Amino acid sequence: MSRIGLFLCECGPNIAEAIDLDKIAEFINKENKVAGIERHRLLCSEEGKKFLAESIKQNQFDHIVIAACSPKQHESTFMEVLSQAGLNPYLLQLVNIREQCAWMTPDKGLATKKALRLIRAAINRVRFHSKLHEKEIEANPDVVVIGAGMTGIETALSLAQQGRTVYLIDKDKLGGMLKNLKRLFPGMLDPQRLLQEKIAEFNNQTQIKVFEDSQVKEILGFFGNFIVTIINKEKEISLKAGSIVLGIGAQEFVPEGMDQFGYGLKNVYTALQFEKEGLTKIPDESKALAIIHCVGREKLGYCSKFCCVNSMKLAHLIKEKRPDIKVIQFYQELCLPGKEYDKFYRETREKGIEFIRFDKIGVGKNGNQLELKYGSGDGTEKHLNVDIVILATGLIPNPETKDFAQMLNIAVDDYGFFKEEHIKLGPVSTLTDGIFIAGTCQGPKDIKESILQAKAASGRILSALIPGRKLPIEAKASEISDSLCMGCGICVQVCAYGAVSIDERKHISVVNEVLCRGCGNCAASCPSGAASHRHFTNQQLYYEAREILR
Amino acid sequence: MKEKNILVIGAGLAGIEASLLCARAGRKVFLIEKEPYFGGSVIKSEEVFPQMECATCMLAPKQSEVLENKNIELLTLSEVKEIKGEPGNFQVKILKKARYVSLVNCIGCAACFEPCPVSLDNEFEEGLSKRKAIYLACSGALPNVPAIDMKRCLRAKGEDCQACKEACMFDAIIYDDKDEELSVTVGSIIIATGFRLSDPGKFPDLGYKKFKNIFSAFEFERLRASNGPTSGEILTRDGNPPKSIAFIHCVGREEKGYCSQICCLYLTKFAHYALDKIPGVKVYQFYKELSIPGKGSQKFFQEVMKKGINLIRTEKLSISENGAGLRLTYEDNKTVDVDMVVLAPPVEPHPGAKEIAQLLKLEQEQFGFFKTTELNPIESNRPGIFIAGCAQGPNFMQDVILQAQAAAGAALHLTGS
Repeated sequence: MSRIGLFLCECGPNIAEAIDLDKIAEFINKENKVAGIERHRLLCSEEGKKFLAESIKQNQFDHIVIAACSPKQHESTFMEVLSQAGLNPYLLQLVNIREQCAWMTPDKGLATKKALRLIRAAINRVRFHSKLHEKEIEANPDVVVIGAGMTGIETALSLAQQGRTVYLIDKDKLGGMLKNLKRLFPGMLDPQRLLQEKIAEFNNQTQIKVFEDSQVKEILGFFGNFIVTIINKEKEISLKAGSIVLGIGAQEFVPEGMDQFGYGLKNVYTALQFEKEGLTKIPDESKALAIIHCVGREKLGYCSKFCCVNSMKLAHLIKEKRPDIKVIQFYQELCLPGKEYDKFYRETREKGIEFIRFDKIGVGKNGNQLELKYGSGDGTEKHLNVDIVILATGLIPNPETKDFAQMLNIAVDDYGFFKEEHIKLGPVSTLTDGIFIAGTCQGPKDIKESILQAKAASGRILSALIPGRKLPIEAKASEISDSLCMGCGICVQVCAYGAVSIDERKHISVVNEVLCRGCGNCAASCPSGAASHRHFTNQQLYYEAREILR
Repeated sequence: MKEKNILVIGAGLAGIEASLLCARAGRKVFLIEKEPYFGGSVIKSEEVFPQMECATCMLAPKQSEVLENKNIELLTLSEVKEIKGEPGNFQVKILKKARYVSLVNCIGCAACFEPCPVSLDNEFEEGLSKRKAIYLACSGALPNVPAIDMKRCLRAKGEDCQACKEACMFDAIIYDDKDEELSVTVGSIIIATGFRLSDPGKFPDLGYKKFKNIFSAFEFERLRASNGPTSGEILTRDGNPPKSIAFIHCVGREEKGYCSQICCLYLTKFAHYALDKIPGVKVYQFYKELSIPGKGSQKFFQEVMKKGINLIRTEKLSISENGAGLRLTYEDNKTVDVDMVVLAPPVEPHPGAKEIAQLLKLEQEQFGFFKTTELNPIESNRPGIFIAGCAQGPNFMQDVILQAQAAAGAALHLTGS
């Protein structure tokens, strides 16, 4: 028989005046389920906490019910007092009789009845609470970064420090998308120089190990203890790390099959193709060049954000080389978010670049030239002959994105990019602890934003994985009973955090304690009762609900 | 010897996120905030686009973690007074102003508000409601402990009013509370002083304050806030739900010289608010260029627009009074009459940024935001001092978070082993 201690907090007059605590004490006393009832004016005060601790020790209570305020307010306060009094902090049930009774129900009689019911339920539940322990596991502080474009390079540089090795892996050479670029907007920096400078920094960093021309074959393990197998020059290498950063980039959307834009005709380029090859091959006789914005935007379903400014950058590059060429930007909406871009836009116009807003546009062949047919909102169709057309198309995910998503059991979004943990609050983390996404593999962005994401992912890792420190594990997690599990796999499907998997040898589900966040999805969906939540067991919930509904 | 402690200035979204990352790494963090509450601009919003999540609920777990994490010392009503030293070893003097209410004794029961005889405009509610001299910015503000606005308390005028003290059952009122000066040593500093919206009165064509039913963006946000002055009902200043609303984009963009980035999407959110709260309301959006960048934005924009928003592009726009309503004149004398107009003014640096820039010898760029390196939006002109969030320019929440995480990483790296 457990010795349950019930503590009634008056919260000054807040509870004392709204609820008849004497009556509650009298009723509970009669039922003989608790070993003692104590009452205090303000349990969360310094004096109140001391009283609570001493009373627990003196009365040798082994389970505690506190009827006071919202658990959001003081659950952690009281759990700490339990620990100080030598009791496992999970042997507590807090009943919210302030926010849910005293402050909600003006009739004192009704508020008292409601409070009594909730307190009885808590007493019935707390008997089944068991001691939970906050465990820790050894964690490897090293990091595997997959993709060695600007994002991966920056991630590696921001993470490398004493006691931590960073493995930087790419299927190709260092540099990624940056290698194709001539300049970076808006400051017109030289990307090749930037790349050389960054790579030179590697020389001072013995903590960074680079694996070019390498494929990722397999990733096993979890936060704190991953094993990544790569194939480098036909040799398998196994790397151990605590965390993984995916920086595999994206690719430019190529408007194959979108005939109205004339893709495939001579002198029609995508923006990236033009920057890579077209710029150096502008025919001498060229007089006019058109840049069409938002190509494929409707089909893709999103604005890639950087293309407007990038198109202006291309205009600058063209004018630098060939001041005699007329450059016309055909756009629908100018997307210039951020404080530097309106200025860049004005400078572009001042260079004599023309901007025409279109509502319809088509590109065709006209002799040696290209003919644009467009509407600009007034209902008439206009014609313009140019020599070169650049299609500003935006970014789409790399094909490897879904392979990695599958390998790591992480989600992709509606557009095929890696899905972040939370669109606002978790832009570089995933629902699986220890796996981060950075740069354009998470969505279209420019170099500056990719660098920022790389640094943010590094920040998350520097905060969580510290050389020499262990990783704490959630005590209120789920567990699956070996003997009851039928291996149906429903729990694997409902787990958002990749914490449940099937043990292939035993044909049953197992919970990875490190990844489990205690949401209870598996316990709720398990048809055989094998999965349970340690702090919300069926027994606890049943006896609690039974009292409330009685 | 490198000092491991970290100072974070400003406890909005950026300051909170940066502090949490540093504290989780085991560092002592001093998080200082000028206001008596923390949470910054985010807690003024009802919902957050594009998922229309409750803003305060979204931030609350992070706020609880700040309050519970023993590595974080949250200092409200505090300002930096002096900084000396170098990266790895800055000596900082902080002025912690008196709250006059004990953070330890007060339980936040609110019994002290009613008896206070002073009535003042509530700045947090953009002046749309009143508060007392002893007050919480809004219900749900954290820490859940009021402050006394001593300059405007009757006691400052020599009266011996004790109304709040008499009402307090927890002995939490401290009339002789004093300002304190604290000295701390830190290895790195993160600036997260945030933004404010320009006063729309600076753009006289739009008639703000001249005509009564023109609202600024935060005023509209507070009208929709369930803990706000109208408990979430969108009402004109006459107390009626408007039958038609016009949202004006790009206010002051030309004068300022930059796009504030967030307005197109929050005005889309506002249209959603209006349609959600007022059945049959007519909504107009007047804009110059639509900027809805990012992968989730276009879908959200299209979903709201599908509900029947009148999107009108115009370079010219003026507003005049028309009986009890407002008349918008655009292009070549086309007009639209509405009951309410909401303006989206430019995002500008917090007014306190200038003083901090001078104290810390930080450069500000032409618009007054803290200057950062072209390819590194968190790096200031001084090593060891990092900038996060809207202190460096207009930003979406996700970018604020990224900068905070990056700044925390940089501070941890700098002061690490």
